[in-house]
Amino acid sequence: MITAERKPMEELTECMKPFGRILLVGCNECVTVCAAGGRKEVGLLSSALQMHFMKENKPFEVKELTLERQCDPEYVEELAPHINQVDAVLSMACGCGVQEIARRYKEKPVFPAVNTKFMGASESQGVWAERCAGCGDCVLGITGGVCPIARCSKQLFNGPCGGSTNGKCEIDSSVDCAWQLIWDRLKALGKVDLYEENIAAKDWRTGRGGGPRKIIREDLAS
Amino acid sequence: MQNFEPVIVAFCCHYCAYTAADMAGSKRLGYPPNVKIIRVPCSGKVDAIHMMKALEKGADGVYVAGCLDGDCHFKTGNIRAARHVEAVKKLLDEIGIEKERVEMFSMSAGMGEKFAEVASEFTERIRKLGPNPVKTSAFAQVRQAVG
Amino acid sequence: MQEKTQTNNKVLVVGGGMGGIRSALDLAESGRDVVLIDKAYSIGGLMTRLDRTFPTNNCDLCTLSPHLSESGRKLHIELLTMTEVSRLDGEAGDFTATLTTKPRYIDMDKCTACGQCHEKFPEAVRFTPGLDHRAPTCMRYPQATPYAFSIDLERCEDVDALVKSCPTGAIDLNETETVRKLSAGSIILAPGAELFDPTVLDTYGYGVHPNVVTSMEYERILSATGPTNGQLLRPSDGKAPQKIAWIQCVGSRGVQEGCVAYCSSACCMYALKEAIVTRERFSDAIETTIFYMDMRTFGKDYELYYQRAKNEFGVRLVRSRPHSVVSENGSGNLEIAFLPEDGGQARSEVYDMVVLTTGFRITPELRELAGRLGIDLNEHGFARTRSFDPVATSKPGIYVCGLFESPKDIPETMIQASAAACSAGGDLNPLRIVAKSEEELPPERSVLGEDPKIGVFICDCGLDIGGVVDVPKLVDFAASLPNVAFAEAIGHGCSKESLGVIRQRIGDKGLNRVVFGACSPRTHEMLFQDTLRKAGLNKYLMEIANLRDQDTWVHASQPDVAAQKAKELLKMAVFSVRLAHPLADHTLPMNKDVLVVGGGVTGMEASLSLADMGFRVYLVERSGQLGGNARNIRKTLEGEDVQAYVKGLIERTESHDQIQVLTQSLIVDHTGMAGAFRTGVQFGPQMFYRPIRHGITILATGALANRPREYLLDEHEAVMTQRDLDNLLEDRADKVQSWNNVAMIQCVGSRVPENPNCSRVCCQAAIKNALRILDINPQARVYVLYRDMRTPGFEEDYYRKARERGVIFVNYGLESKPAVKANGKGVTVSFRDPIVGREIQLPADCLALSTGFIADEESTEDLGTIFRLPRTQDDYFLEDHIKLRPVDLPIPGFFVAGTAHSPRSIRESVAQAKAAAGRAQTFLARDTINLGAVVATVDRDKCASCLICVRACPFDVPFINAEGYSEIDPAKCHGCGTCASECPAKAIQLMQYEDDQILAKLDGLLERMV
Repeated sequence: MITAERKPMEELTECMKPFGRILLVGCNECVTVCAAGGRKEVGLLSSALQMHFMKENKPFEVKELTLERQCDPEYVEELAPHINQVDAVLSMACGCGVQEIARRYKEKPVFPAVNTKFMGASESQGVWAERCAGCGDCVLGITGGVCPIARCSKQLFNGPCGGSTNGKCEIDSSVDCAWQLIWDRLKALGKVDLYEENIAAKDWRTGRGGGPRKIIREDLAS
Repeated sequence: MQNFEPVIVAFCCHYCAYTAADMAGSKRLGYPPNVKIIRVPCSGKVDAIHMMKALEKGADGVYVAGCLDGDCHFKTGNIRAARHVEAVKKLLDEIGIEKERVEMFSMSAGMGEKFAEVASEFTERIRKLGPNPVKTSAFAQVRQAVG
Repeated sequence: MQEKTQTNNKVLVVGGGMGGIRSALDLAESGRDVVLIDKAYSIGGLMTRLDRTFPTNNCDLCTLSPHLSESGRKLHIELLTMTEVSRLDGEAGDFTATLTTKPRYIDMDKCTACGQCHEKFPEAVRFTPGLDHRAPTCMRYPQATPYAFSIDLERCEDVDALVKSCPTGAIDLNETETVRKLSAGSIILAPGAELFDPTVLDTYGYGVHPNVVTSMEYERILSATGPTNGQLLRPSDGKAPQKIAWIQCVGSRGVQEGCVAYCSSACCMYALKEAIVTRERFSDAIETTIFYMDMRTFGKDYELYYQRAKNEFGVRLVRSRPHSVVSENGSGNLEIAFLPEDGGQARSEVYDMVVLTTGFRITPELRELAGRLGIDLNEHGFARTRSFDPVATSKPGIYVCGLFESPKDIPETMIQASAAACSAGGDLNPLRIVAKSEEELPPERSVLGEDPKIGVFICDCGLDIGGVVDVPKLVDFAASLPNVAFAEAIGHGCSKESLGVIRQRIGDKGLNRVVFGACSPRTHEMLFQDTLRKAGLNKYLMEIANLRDQDTWVHASQPDVAAQKAKELLKMAVFSVRLAHPLADHTLPMNKDVLVVGGGVTGMEASLSLADMGFRVYLVERSGQLGGNARNIRKTLEGEDVQAYVKGLIERTESHDQIQVLTQSLIVDHTGMAGAFRTGVQFGPQMFYRPIRHGITILATGALANRPREYLLDEHEAVMTQRDLDNLLEDRADKVQSWNNVAMIQCVGSRVPENPNCSRVCCQAAIKNALRILDINPQARVYVLYRDMRTPGFEEDYYRKARERGVIFVNYGLESKPAVKANGKGVTVSFRDPIVGREIQLPADCLALSTGFIADEESTEDLGTIFRLPRTQDDYFLEDHIKLRPVDLPIPGFFVAGTAHSPRSIRESVAQAKAAAGRAQTFLARDTINLGAVVATVDRDKCASCLICVRACPFDVPFINAEGYSEIDPAKCHGCGTCASECPAKAIQLMQYEDDQILAKLDGLLERMV
């Protein structure tokens, strides 16, 4: 899933300052699952914003709404009846959602309430960690199911750097060294020969290096 | 403000703090009338939103009172409640409202004295802090009157 | 089904401590009528005087189950305080007890516990709100504890004024001692014991030096309700002590004047608890030292507690029995003189306070009672029982539980209490399925689509509310609130008459929501709910504003303040009740068949208890035959023949009409909930599959005899386990004739990192075998190498006997374990003797290892997974509440007994088997199981299937179903609401405590009064 974290309140109150009535929009997908922008977070942020502006003696009204998914135009359409009653939209979805709202409601200022972080997995209740960098050319099959791009601080492809100590990364000792994990896993699989093999320099054009990407499924596209 | 009488919401766990409050009553232990109790089955039921809404609606202080450590009827509700309270404190801090306005307390069902003591101490704390800045603004007062 | 010759169905329970209460509750919940008597003026017993209990260090009473059937208790328990049995006639099934009740001088029906008499005559009026301060949580109905006062006439100077002080006229000084005859089918004795008064000992200065206190006095000092309000201050000068010593076994395990020979069993643990609590709650700068003889932490996980005390909390332990405590001049400090364990010079240390750990005593009155009832006592004055029926006294129909049976701690008392309830209930006529409680109820009116039409009823509760606030004014105020259609002052709302009026009004005025301005919902919610239901409304369409306990009682001296607060409380309730909606209690029909897993002594005893009551039992055993561990035990410590007993059990089990035995059987799958379980069993050599439908499951899967590869066991013929030796002593006694030296090593494979707990049975097994060896061959020399000799209760008698007969006990530590070498037909055991301070090489003809138990990890893991039951760190099943619910497992409908629970003796296993049957009976007596309505429900349209509820639920109830959203089984939900508060999509609501209702209360409070 895509993970996100609420922006600091100071930043949010600053960008909401010019407005009197806003629409605070949550998303019931990834940001709900990572507890950043679901109905509950919408409620909390709404309350916090209103309290802040009340304290500042500034009239401020929040309309709360949570969409099934902000990255699909059909769902974003549900904002239409409300959009003219507000001065701005504050979206708690990832960057995709914010952009969808901006695209659909061109005349309305839209602001992100969260910082979109990474594609990750839930390690345990309340803990999410980066797992995928979306490189467009997956190597997990030869790296024992551990991604050296998303999980190695230096994105190394052929073994660890000299900073790998006791299985931890030198950049952040709380993070496992991806290459240690790859080695352990290959060993467990009896595939250490894969480790010996040289992985050729990666063609980054399949990733962000090739500019904004798009997927077109001919069979589905209309 | 001279005659400031804070309004305080206490979310009390049925098994411990609510019982302790009854116990304080049966022992005729006085505590400030400012504290109004909302009964919940477990302190872990108290959502951060409930605390925020209480303050937003004009309460001057909010506290959650649950069971003693390890004593939760539902195993871990009191631990979760303490975390919810911490999260609300952080959020209040961020918007410039005194985080001391929310707190978590623990007590057992038999601790009527403790209940009264907590109620008094917390009321004093809030009295010293003064009114919730949210409700003192002119706009907020209009808003509240409208309901 | 056996024929019973009952003439009535009542059980008389003597003693209202924890044990008696447990027995009474179990019986009441099983539909039996109980008369519970106590000679004190309120019930509760010893436990209520404790500050906290081990091993959880909690007060724990408040964790007692909320799902108990309250109405059942009210219907079936009659409580008589200040009452004793003065005479007993008749026999089992037809006893006539003569009960003598002392005058209380207060009419309990009229007393509202308002406290006015107490205020005016504090000397003469006694008030212990039932179980001390915790009463209402333990037995939550006011008449039971009883929540009332009593009068000590001798201390009253102005009798007339006292009588007049009561607003309800409840004080009646003409009351006299009453005598009543009670017919009872069976009797349970739970009179408890007293604590030893160390004044009679001249060595420790109790009663002379104020800073020498008993452990119970120390509990009171720690207690928040105690004399120091929970401050740790010493009596002499109110200073906070920095050095505290505990002296163990004061008055117990002694032969001198004033002492008893037995061990009081519970004191090691509570001394550790007091030391831990001292350091945890007050300051870890306080030095805590315990002087002990043997650390007897033999209960479930108690050894871990002991290790934590030493290693985590830094409690200092000194193995020595101090010979004296003397006062240091003028300072109030105390000097303890003792001989250190290493055999060095006598030493002394100075402490600020000394706690004497005192044990249990049987009072002379209790011996007299036993005489009146005609039951045998043992040489220590406790009720005599047998290992194979530990709760039956010598007189049929009279059962015993708790301290009067033998010294023990709370969990073992609770076990015996439930066991006694099982036996006593089993003596009565078969359960009538009583319709006594089921009145005809009108159909529930639908309120769907109606606007809230609220009725507000405000009690004056005599002067309790009405004397502080102006009730008519409150009624006017309530009538002005939105959606309130009717408001009225109702006097004593809980009186029969008022409840009738309320019912009438609900109908006449067409009310569809009700608010009560009354006392606490904790005590009266159920009563008012019943009233709504009887008036044809759903019982959840109401709110109670707690005007008495949380307002007028608190602010009695400030009427204005109380009036204002009362308005606010009423408004909150009205706002909230507007959003109340009808809820259905979840119920299930009860399947009354029972599945017992494990065919050892425990499983058979539990099966027979229930089968004898008429329930059908499936007894599933993994191996090919019944009997379990007991098949390999020949004699008990007391000399009883185990094989004869087991043989009898097997015969009865196999021939019982109501028991179906499935051997060579494995549990393979399981679904359902209490009252409606379905468990798949594969059985027989062909492993046929068969589903069993049952309402209750009892786990009696036992533990394994440990057999660690150590000390040449299974490598040398002279090395054997105590069990092997037990058999050899019976079958090959001739061999013993030639033995010169026998060595025994204790704690082999127990109390070690791999198996951290004590195995409970091995100390007594070693002593049992040592004594038998000396019986056969008085010339033999027996050496027992031990870490702590753990012979609790009367087992201590045998330990003493062994020492008297020359068995040599040598202490060793885990860091200096003995070593064993082969030496021809024998072995050489080398160890260090701490007293002479040197290594000893002992040639032994026989080496017996006390190997104890090890959890049957494989089966508890399998069954734990299939049944979703938690286990302890060392793989025993983990009960619901270690102290108060020792046989109930956390999933309703599951019970555990025997060594699947923890290492225990046959005696303890039998008690626990009967206890499990007794607890099971409380379920089986019902036709349906009411699960209440406070459950979490998921709005599937909002659910993001994020798993947060699945992970947050303390009981693992929510799961993501096949349709992809979270599902919460109302039958399993405990109603805590954790999931509702954690859900990031706000898709979960806890019924009766929904978010909008909570917010409505906030609105009611915070909306400006217009």
